[in-house]
Amino acid sequence: MNLSLSRPRARWLALTTAAAAASLVVAACGGSTSSSTGSGTGTVKSGGTATFALDEDVAGFNVLQANDNEFVLQEINDQIWPQAFLTPPSLTPTLNKDLLTSAAVTSTSPQTVVYKINPKATWSDGTPISAADFIYNWQANSGSATYKDLGGAAYLAASTAGYNDIKSVTSSDGGKTATVVFSAPYSDWRALFSPMIPGHVAQKVGFNNGFQTFGPAVQVSGGPYMIQSYTKGEDLVEVRNPKWWGTPGKLSKIVFRFILDDSQQPPAIQNGEANLVNPALAALSYYDSVKNIAGFTTKVDPGLEFQHMDFNQSNPYLANVNVRHAIAYGTNRQQMVARIVSPMAPSIKPLNNRLWMATQPAYKDTSAGYGDYDPAKAKAALTAAGMTMGSDGYFHPNSGPLKGQDLSFNISTTSGVEVRAQIEQLFQASMKNIGIKINVKNYDANTFFGTVLPKGEYDIGEFAWVLTPFDSGNQPIYCSYTNAAVCGNNWVHYANPTVDKLFTQASATLDPTQSAALYNQIDTILWKDMVTLPLFQQPQLFGWSSKLANVVPNTSSVGVTWNAQLWGNTTQ
Amino acid sequence: MGAFIARRIAAGIVLLLVASFLIYLLVSLSGNPLAALEANPHIAKATIAAAREQLHLNEPLLERYWTWLTGFLQGNFGTATTGQAVGPQVLPRLVVTLQMVIPATLIAIVLAILVGVVGAVKQYSIVDHLSTGLAYVFFSTPVFVLAILLKDFLAVDFNKGVGHTVLYTIGQNTPGVTGFGNVAVDAIEHTILPVVTLTLITYATWSRYQRSSMLDVLNADYIRLARAKGLSPRRVLYVHALRNALIPVTTVIALDFAAVIGGALVTEIVFGWEGFGRFFYTGLTGPVSPDVNVVQAWFVISAAIIILFNLIADILYGVLDPRIRYA
Repeated sequence: MNLSLSRPRARWLALTTAAAAASLVVAACGGSTSSSTGSGTGTVKSGGTATFALDEDVAGFNVLQANDNEFVLQEINDQIWPQAFLTPPSLTPTLNKDLLTSAAVTSTSPQTVVYKINPKATWSDGTPISAADFIYNWQANSGSATYKDLGGAAYLAASTAGYNDIKSVTSSDGGKTATVVFSAPYSDWRALFSPMIPGHVAQKVGFNNGFQTFGPAVQVSGGPYMIQSYTKGEDLVEVRNPKWWGTPGKLSKIVFRFILDDSQQPPAIQNGEANLVNPALAALSYYDSVKNIAGFTTKVDPGLEFQHMDFNQSNPYLANVNVRHAIAYGTNRQQMVARIVSPMAPSIKPLNNRLWMATQPAYKDTSAGYGDYDPAKAKAALTAAGMTMGSDGYFHPNSGPLKGQDLSFNISTTSGVEVRAQIEQLFQASMKNIGIKINVKNYDANTFFGTVLPKGEYDIGEFAWVLTPFDSGNQPIYCSYTNAAVCGNNWVHYANPTVDKLFTQASATLDPTQSAALYNQIDTILWKDMVTLPLFQQPQLFGWSSKLANVVPNTSSVGVTWNAQLWGNTTQ
Repeated sequence: MGAFIARRIAAGIVLLLVASFLIYLLVSLSGNPLAALEANPHIAKATIAAAREQLHLNEPLLERYWTWLTGFLQGNFGTATTGQAVGPQVLPRLVVTLQMVIPATLIAIVLAILVGVVGAVKQYSIVDHLSTGLAYVFFSTPVFVLAILLKDFLAVDFNKGVGHTVLYTIGQNTPGVTGFGNVAVDAIEHTILPVVTLTLITYATWSRYQRSSMLDVLNADYIRLARAKGLSPRRVLYVHALRNALIPVTTVIALDFAAVIGGALVTEIVFGWEGFGRFFYTGLTGPVSPDVNVVQAWFVISAAIIILFNLIADILYGVLDPRIRYA
């Protein structure tokens, strides 16, 4: 999973985006969850331009590099660097048949995956896409000290997950077959090599720094489009890749305009300066300002991002599971959904799973009632935790640092984000209702995510996680915090050896149905232990001009540009 | 005069050094450029350690400042946290800001003098009251409010009225426009709203100074004498009064110009111009921030401009008013 900063827009990709686990295909045979339809698949004219307003500029151009690994770059990159597996809106994995003729597990002991590369696949500089690219991408992302970037520096890989389980990648059939042998089973293997950096270019210019500024290296493409120009803070222009071997893109140009302040996007749309939007954290006010623009279609879908609350168990009172349950019972999540989300996305309900979203086939309500709004149960749980109701309407602990005083906690999140401020207000009122005092203490995004959360300088933290379809990525958040090397994002100081074992088992289970069941089993335990409280899926807003056809929203981390090669203008 | 200038420059350099150290300290301690990496559950510890080393964050703060200072004295502004060299980014951004600021300043000067003179000559008339009222409205309106109002209520409706986009709300140009004539027209169309915004905010203050200065001069004895001698009102106004009334306003404009460059920050953000102000803003709030090298570059350049224009203001005062002499 990824952490969503609230700046608000540094949405990371964490794991490479690619496809959902194959379990979703098997389990969802005939029943995969679909995202909403877009502007149809009508006939469009060749040529023309689409202008996509992005609310963040890129830090660099290597989406696999730690500093550049952001959602906005993935959206730009969707049509540039090839991906082994694609993620359509249904979230079921799709082999990228332009790149590969097949990709299959040929052995489970050891796990071996054979990729057959399309003979026509070639980079825009004429170099064939080959097993050498698979080898380079593995080595660069493996995290192994054996492999070094240009100049002997360690690779700054955004994620080593999965790649660090690969033992070898070998080439055969003149470079058109790549055989990947794993040292340990890895169920999310479809997430790998999606996307792939051009290995022959990265070897020359460097993985870490060679793609930080716009230049010839950045313009090498293995997709339908290539980057023609980039003006920092202004725009990035993609044009058709003349060396693309598949169906050419309809549009002759896709322009990405960096309009960093979301409030500036509606007038730009009205003025015809942008005709496609997908803001990171669309507030109701933004939705209200775009939904009535003439000739502009808006669609809101539940995203793979959810708001939640962390309970820091370093706090002596939050260490008591009864107190955590009390807070959960006392939180009116339905009210939050109704006030904050429903006007935009009526289908969203309170979320009852941390590891799967309601729009994913593997989703199951694992809450066992622990997430139900029940103030009476909340008060009973506080009493069981050794609290006594005071005459001022607040519970008083019978022991600990707040003995005899009002039970109070700080809630912290990033300042200046409308959605989070509303959550805090509603939460404060709910807690007062059950006798807990809540103080709001917010920080700027850098401080909150860089210091407050990692150092545990908070009581209750509110922020969003962004999922990828690969649940092994959740392990660092929920496995025992005592294992700092693996569980570096367990900021709530939670430890449960059963959960640790289940994560290891799930990650190594190649059968997608079985691994999904294991993850749901983990989440059942997380509810019982009330490690965190999921609130609701974050709605994702998509908007596009009615003159732009074949735009289909995609809530996965590949973004709305997943099928940009099919976009076109209905009028010229 | 030469000694005066030399003393002022020397004092300015010392001030710059002390301030650069304080700014470096404050910015470095204000946040963690690796926050985003550290909060990402999928980034390996080794990657973060490598990134820390590449940004020299494992070195003591004083050592990092010294590295910056010695590099700066050799013309090297260092590397941004995103990996790009800072130096080559400074001039293009300054040019972008000046594209907005210079036209706005020139128009504001003309407008301020006109409004100030008319207001003084026709004191307490309807014209004076109207110009005073407007000046106070623009003077007290935040830049971003005015900018948004112009975008939402002027640009969109105006463009609809004329049938095509004349007033652009975002960016310095339209991507993909070719041909010198088309590029020039496109650039001008993108410049109109930001320049109007800055002009309205800026002229408001200057016009008040001009009016006040003009009133002082018009009530002076030598003007009364000039009228008594039978000079025409036009000659009294333009030859004797205006010239002297411009002296304080000129120095105010010289002092303010540096502030206008800094103040263009908000305008750049609202209109999406990648200028010098936004360079600073991104250094403080961008994806890998705080970026101390970017902020230092912005600070040093801005401070140098302020010191320079302060010096120009002092010199101009001495040139325009023969009674002033500097030792």
